[in-house]
Amino acid sequence: MAEIGHGGKEIVERIMEPAQAKSKIQNLAKIPVRSQIANEIIGIAYGFFSPLQGFMGKADVESVCKNMKLANGVVWSIPILFDLSDEEIKQYGINKGASVVLTYNDNPMAIMEVEEIFDYDRKSMAAAVYGTDDPKHPGCSRTYAYKDKFIGGKITLINRPKINPPYDPYFVPPLELRKKFKDKGWVRVVAHQTRNVPHTGHEWLMKGAWFQTYGELSIEKPIVGVLVNAIIGEKRKGDYIDESIILTQDELRKSGYFGDHNHLTTLTFWDMRYAGPREAVFHAALRTNLGLTHHMYGRDHAGVGTYYGPYDAHHMLEKIAKDLAIVPVYSMNWLYCPHCGEVTSEGLCNHKKEWQKFSGTLIRSIVMDGVKPPRLIFRPEVFDLVMECADKYGFGSPFVTDDYLAKRIPVFEIPPM
Amino acid sequence: MAEEKYPINIWINEERFKQLEKAGLSDMCEEMLAGLKVFRVFANDAQRDKILKVFPTAKFDSATTKSIELLPKDVKDAIFVKCVEKKSMDVLDDFLKSY
Repeated sequence: MAEIGHGGKEIVERIMEPAQAKSKIQNLAKIPVRSQIANEIIGIAYGFFSPLQGFMGKADVESVCKNMKLANGVVWSIPILFDLSDEEIKQYGINKGASVVLTYNDNPMAIMEVEEIFDYDRKSMAAAVYGTDDPKHPGCSRTYAYKDKFIGGKITLINRPKINPPYDPYFVPPLELRKKFKDKGWVRVVAHQTRNVPHTGHEWLMKGAWFQTYGELSIEKPIVGVLVNAIIGEKRKGDYIDESIILTQDELRKSGYFGDHNHLTTLTFWDMRYAGPREAVFHAALRTNLGLTHHMYGRDHAGVGTYYGPYDAHHMLEKIAKDLAIVPVYSMNWLYCPHCGEVTSEGLCNHKKEWQKFSGTLIRSIVMDGVKPPRLIFRPEVFDLVMECADKYGFGSPFVTDDYLAKRIPVFEIPPM
Repeated sequence: MAEEKYPINIWINEERFKQLEKAGLSDMCEEMLAGLKVFRVFANDAQRDKILKVFPTAKFDSATTKSIELLPKDVKDAIFVKCVEKKSMDVLDDFLKSY
């Protein structure tokens, strides 16, 4: 039976077996790509970004910027672009109608059918997508860094990425993930978007969303799950290291704060754009493709600095609700109330003067001081694992450092063909 | 209008608490998070701006706590040591002189 993804389109993996591809690529130009593009090739080829079949052409970009829709009318919020300099286009002899091989780690990764070579005004693109053209916004800065031209065309993966430990069990493409949900008997699954090591505020966001998602369903058997879908992409100094993020999220299940019956952790390769409301819409499309029925959104979802209001993403999702096949679940902040002696929701507790709010940033500062936070705030198993990851993967630091950026284990590699 | 103050949260374990007791500063600790003690050194606007400039990994948590977070551990350790040495929380001007 066809698996239907975002926009009502069937999810089709665009993957050619290496044996078949080997002869096809012999005489094609080989173009090396950077990690952002490699991440997006995986996103397109496995159906994470369905209905996209390749990097966008001008009509799609124009329509995404102006109407937040692809040219075919399907809601889409962020341009997915492959850029090259004029010099590279000349050097590789890239012409409309040609096929080229995109390589990563010097090995062939995908065939691209070049359908279009075009330019687009970066400032207007940034303003449309991010609601600002401020170069300090990380999404705008990424947009301004694109090279001279964009190359639009379909992608076919010809060499599957080798996912390195400890990430390998967490890479579960859409068709496989949907099968897993069926095997677990989950009829509803709610997404928890994260780039963080979980504190109990995050844990309760998930638990609250799980309750909301359960709704009117029968409670006789466990039929609702939480999918933690960690975004793995470009790192900035001071972030938690990726190994900590993915392993500690799963640790909540392993240590019994959740269980196999209601919790699963996977990853998606994506370089965050921090587009706030538009990123929220992108997440809705992505998680629809993963087979989720619900998506949790907290305050200032995928925002940065003060560019977006705390509920801008919610308002955007409400506007396009009829075009989405996933139900947004809105979550209030969780905090510690010493009067209640527990983590509680700001929507429930009325001991407002006593509230002790905590953010991921605050918890990072405690961890950075080498002090173990109370278990009501940060699970001891999570803290211990963060420290273990620092030793094992972080060159002594739980946070991204220059050393980590230079010497880390790559999340994936493209093997020789 | 009173000048705004922005805390640098120095988290206190048992060892640090003993040092603060010796310096007569242990009463300045607050229970901030589910019993976890914090020693807060406050910055004014100018000190906050200088800290954020000099230590680019530091972040001003404008949304939740209005505190200066993610200072490198050695920097916070040095601020703490200065407080204990001077038996005072008013050390930031002195500390920032060398930067």
